[in-house]
Amino acid sequence: MKRMLLAAGLAALMAGTSGIALAQTAGGGVLTVATIGEPPSLDVMQTPTDIVLTITQHIFETLYIYDAEWQPQPLLAADMPEISEDGLTYRIPLREGVTFHDGSAFDSADVVASLNRWMEINSKGRQVAEVIETIEADGDNAVVVTLNSRYSPLLATFSQGSPILPSETLGGELTDFIGTGPYRLQERRPDQYTQLVRFEDYVSPEGEPSNYAGRREAIADEIRFVPVPDANTRVEGLIAGQYDYADSLPVSAYERVEAAGNVEPVIFENAGWTSLNMNMAEGPLTDKALRQAVQVALNPSDMMLAAFSDERFFAVDGALFPEGFFWHTQAGVERYGEGDPEAAAALMEEAGYDGTPIRILTSRQYGFHYSTGEVAKAYLEAAGFAVDLQVVDWATLTTRRADKGQWDIFITHSNFPGDPTTLNTITDTYPGWYTSEAKSQAVAAFMNAVTNEERFTAWEGIQSVIYEDAPLVKVGNFNALGGLASGVSGYEPAYWPRFWNVAPRG
Amino acid sequence: MPRVFMALLKRAGGMAVVLALVVTVVFLIVRVTPGDPAAVMLGSDATPEDIAALRARLGLDAPILVQYGRFVLDILRGDLGQSIFLGQPVTTALAARAEPTFFLTLFSILIAVSIALPVGILSAVKRGTLFDQIVVGATMVAASVPSFWLGLILIQTFAVGLGWFPASGYGGPGTPFLERLSHLVLPAVALGIVNSALITRFTRAAMLDVLSEDYVRTARAKGAGPSRVILKHALKNAMIPIITVIGLSVALLVAGAVVTETVFGLPGVGNLVVQAVLRRDYPVIQGTLLVVAAIYVLINFAVDMLYLTVDPRVRT
Repeated sequence: MKRMLLAAGLAALMAGTSGIALAQTAGGGVLTVATIGEPPSLDVMQTPTDIVLTITQHIFETLYIYDAEWQPQPLLAADMPEISEDGLTYRIPLREGVTFHDGSAFDSADVVASLNRWMEINSKGRQVAEVIETIEADGDNAVVVTLNSRYSPLLATFSQGSPILPSETLGGELTDFIGTGPYRLQERRPDQYTQLVRFEDYVSPEGEPSNYAGRREAIADEIRFVPVPDANTRVEGLIAGQYDYADSLPVSAYERVEAAGNVEPVIFENAGWTSLNMNMAEGPLTDKALRQAVQVALNPSDMMLAAFSDERFFAVDGALFPEGFFWHTQAGVERYGEGDPEAAAALMEEAGYDGTPIRILTSRQYGFHYSTGEVAKAYLEAAGFAVDLQVVDWATLTTRRADKGQWDIFITHSNFPGDPTTLNTITDTYPGWYTSEAKSQAVAAFMNAVTNEERFTAWEGIQSVIYEDAPLVKVGNFNALGGLASGVSGYEPAYWPRFWNVAPRG
Repeated sequence: MPRVFMALLKRAGGMAVVLALVVTVVFLIVRVTPGDPAAVMLGSDATPEDIAALRARLGLDAPILVQYGRFVLDILRGDLGQSIFLGQPVTTALAARAEPTFFLTLFSILIAVSIALPVGILSAVKRGTLFDQIVVGATMVAASVPSFWLGLILIQTFAVGLGWFPASGYGGPGTPFLERLSHLVLPAVALGIVNSALITRFTRAAMLDVLSEDYVRTARAKGAGPSRVILKHALKNAMIPIITVIGLSVALLVAGAVVTETVFGLPGVGNLVVQAVLRRDYPVIQGTLLVVAAIYVLINFAVDMLYLTVDPRVRT
């Protein structure tokens, strides 16, 4: 009996305190953001994944940052660089009067030390290291980057995952997460929250806000990133008033969020694109005609409809960058269509297809990958391919796809940000192992281009070569759904949701 | 007394063997399962070079026997290793998550027992009546309800609809203890209801067995009142199977909290295991399963000890 009384007492106690919990979460200059999970690290140079970038972009800043057209604009740099006539020397002026969260001054020594670390441990940094001869300080407020060959995506690569940290913190593992951003790290409790608080001495760049560029103001006192891996729980927590913003909601929750009254759905257009990447190193798809057969056999509209169920959440477009992006072009996309089994069968006959099953790797962890795979299987079978759809978890897929002998197609998705050179398939060693003479020439032309016009023309060449060589099938562009609490103002949908210039509920 | 001591020693030896087996089996299963922590950490865009570099940095490129040797030596030193994903010792990660899981288990079992004991006893006493039939039906339904589904219903009703309790999480920075506990009400109710079904059925069955015994009939014949017969004579003797099932429920709760913690976004041990498996965070999977297995074994041991106390016949 005593036990029962104790239980009843505790329940009453707990019920009594819950009101306080909800009231405190509701306002007071705090933005609570439900994310899809815990970041594996806050060292964004080491682990430049989306969840890490989303959180750390409030703490760390880069020399340049993307504007609304995904073109680099100055952030910690004072201006665009002075580029020598041969295109090999970039002199980058730095902003003055900027301080780090520990009170130390930002100067050229920090830039040199940070970019050197970035070139050692970051995947993009390691690629760029091959063309960078030196990075040297030019006084306290400028750095000079000298290249051994022209490299037009340099500023784009300085805009993502290459933050500037105090040089004193950079020996070995990063343990102090000190940047120049509008928020500083207060406390991190893994799987519970990451708490950022306003950096009072923040010095903002000038200019109208445009995507990640322009003026930044830390309006909220605090931002709390809360990992909520279960998508339904993110939806319910948002509607219950626990979160000010919930990221990556299932598209099926749109109506429920819209009808709730106290929250509103937020659609971020062109969040990413789905692709079927083909194995060009081993197996039947080493034959170009067979890869082209796969391309023409598939119906992107049906695959996207199966994966996203509602036309508000996807667009079918063969261009590798969507409309509105500087890089959008239809060059070379003729083979992207509505699924033509007869044309595919003709190509298969030309290639002498012997009935070897095409092994498609996909994962249920990303539901849309799985749905895409199922429709792809049906269309490929209609064209005459034998298909072996292998459904595994994402961790298994990433292991298997590294083995040339284990697969023919894997389904994945990517984002659009940045420069065309950030496309995985441009990298020769990315699973699929796409190399060709035509690709090398097209990429070299891009690297050598200096003006934006020259770069655009060179990119058209790359996109055309990709469609001709068919290392992948682009399926379509998808939108992401988030949810915002009513009363939160100033939030602009973004690929990596950002919360400077955002005012909490009153 | 020496016989009891020997029995204790024998059981302790058995526990050590079970734990050694758990250590080895978990280590092997984790290594045999495809999936690479470095690949998971670096995301979908990682190149093989990035993954290989991170594997080397994490010591995952060492031969499997070397890794096993390091793992066993670390355990013997009381060190469960360093989480790959969280960048902190496994013991620290576990300690940080012990509180919600401990209180979730405690509240769930309190809720389960406080429903199950009176209902189970009454159902046995009123055998064959409408009340008994309702109890039998209800426990069958409750036992088959998945706790995650019940969890979502509770969230929609009491968090979203009525706003009485938080929908998920375990509070933000500086949240007071009592306020943190308020986050446990809905998950504890979800788990408690599901577990109460099993305990109710066992209580009812155990009471029915005892109520038909001769000494109960004798007690009644000697004029003992119904409450004295039930509580003093019957319940005391029905307690052994009931204690067993409560012990079993506690052990199951530790494991069953996995799903509930995920649904409610509780940063507990269960959630840690689920996330660690998805992240392929080997040291966390190994360390947590070892600790959970140890708790499981200890609960069984404690139940055995309770037998010795409650029923002298077990000592012989």
